[in-house]
Amino acid sequence: MELMKLEIVTPEGVIFDDEIKQVTVPGGEGEFGVLAGHAAIVSLLASGVITIERKDGREVQVAINGGYIKVEEEKTLCMVDGAVALSGEDTNLAKNIALAKDLLEKAQASTLTVAAAVSKFDNIKK
Amino acid sequence: MANLKDIKRKISSVKGTQKTTRAMKLVSSAKLKRAEEVAKRSKVYSVKLTELLNEIAQKISQGNEEGIDNVFFKENKNPKNVDVVFVTSDKGLCGGFNSQTIKRASQVMESFGSDVKVRLSGVGKKGIAFFKYNQVEMLNQIDDLSSKPNYERSTELISSLVEDYVNGKTDKIILIHNGYVNMIMQKIHEQQLLPVDTSKLEITKSVAMSELEIEPDDDDTLLDALVKKYIDYTMYYALLDSLAAEHSARMQAMDAATNNAGDMVKSLQVKYNKARQEAITTELIEIISGMESLK
Repeated sequence: MELMKLEIVTPEGVIFDDEIKQVTVPGGEGEFGVLAGHAAIVSLLASGVITIERKDGREVQVAINGGYIKVEEEKTLCMVDGAVALSGEDTNLAKNIALAKDLLEKAQASTLTVAAAVSKFDNIKK
Repeated sequence: MANLKDIKRKISSVKGTQKTTRAMKLVSSAKLKRAEEVAKRSKVYSVKLTELLNEIAQKISQGNEEGIDNVFFKENKNPKNVDVVFVTSDKGLCGGFNSQTIKRASQVMESFGSDVKVRLSGVGKKGIAFFKYNQVEMLNQIDDLSSKPNYERSTELISSLVEDYVNGKTDKIILIHNGYVNMIMQKIHEQQLLPVDTSKLEITKSVAMSELEIEPDDDDTLLDALVKKYIDYTMYYALLDSLAAEHSARMQAMDAATNNAGDMVKSLQVKYNKARQEAITTELIEIISGMESLK
């Protein structure tokens, strides 16, 4: 599978910069997935969860509170206001999930978004 | 003899000052490191955001000849109301750091004719104190923000100004701050926040540009959100940059003060030695002349 570069930048710095297989983001007009070779697009991001499939197949979830995404053929850039990363092998996962939930709630996400996000987090635990 | 004691007292007082300035220098250099780190990390975001704004602006301006038809980009040739925002430090003892910013802010204010109404907003106690003393009216006076940059509070300030701009109350927003260059250099930055200065946007021609899709389709929604974000962030970054510059300026000032105190101690020590020698000589002459008279 072809890989592409993903960068996630927050005002506090770069939090993710690696080659990945696929990323799914909560676009302003609905969720969409990006694979390598995707057409160039710039979109608003709503608050929600970014799901990243890493090159080794592991999944990482990043809760965000809105921002922008710029997709180019080789490279994808997400600029978000705030982010909390969650992955299966994290030792203090429970604490991070609480942080992520807090972030989403503060971003005035609808209860539906929070609920959808929480169910995604629950999947990580399993 | 009293002279000797005086000099000694002076020396110890100067030495005390030297100790203080040296400590302040150390504190500043530690704080500078932290502030520099924060500013550096935030720079990535700021650079990428500017890039993104450039691309979108270009994409939109490709369609129409007269430039971008958006309230944030329309240049008003005869501004009637201008907002000037300056950032200074909350604390002094940092050399010419604040006076440079204040000078530039005054210059900018004077550069507009008398028919232009200038509103001044200040961040940082030192600048506010100056303009207050000179009885210049200020719209916003914000303390304790430049020493502890805070995204929410900086957004609060700037978004109220942006709102006035959107509602047509003001035609221009200018931001002035003293930025960090390196350990021994600071540079005054004067930015025009609104309208966004399209002449300064770099033109990068990439093939993908023409095929760039924008979602939501409505250009304005994305552009508005992006410009607002850009302004909020530029303001916040100005605070971070200013804080780093403040610490580097203070470090420099305190270093100079420590050196000057050292020079002063040296010259006082020479004076002290001379005075002591003089005292000894006088005493000797007294003893010898006393012995002579006994003969």
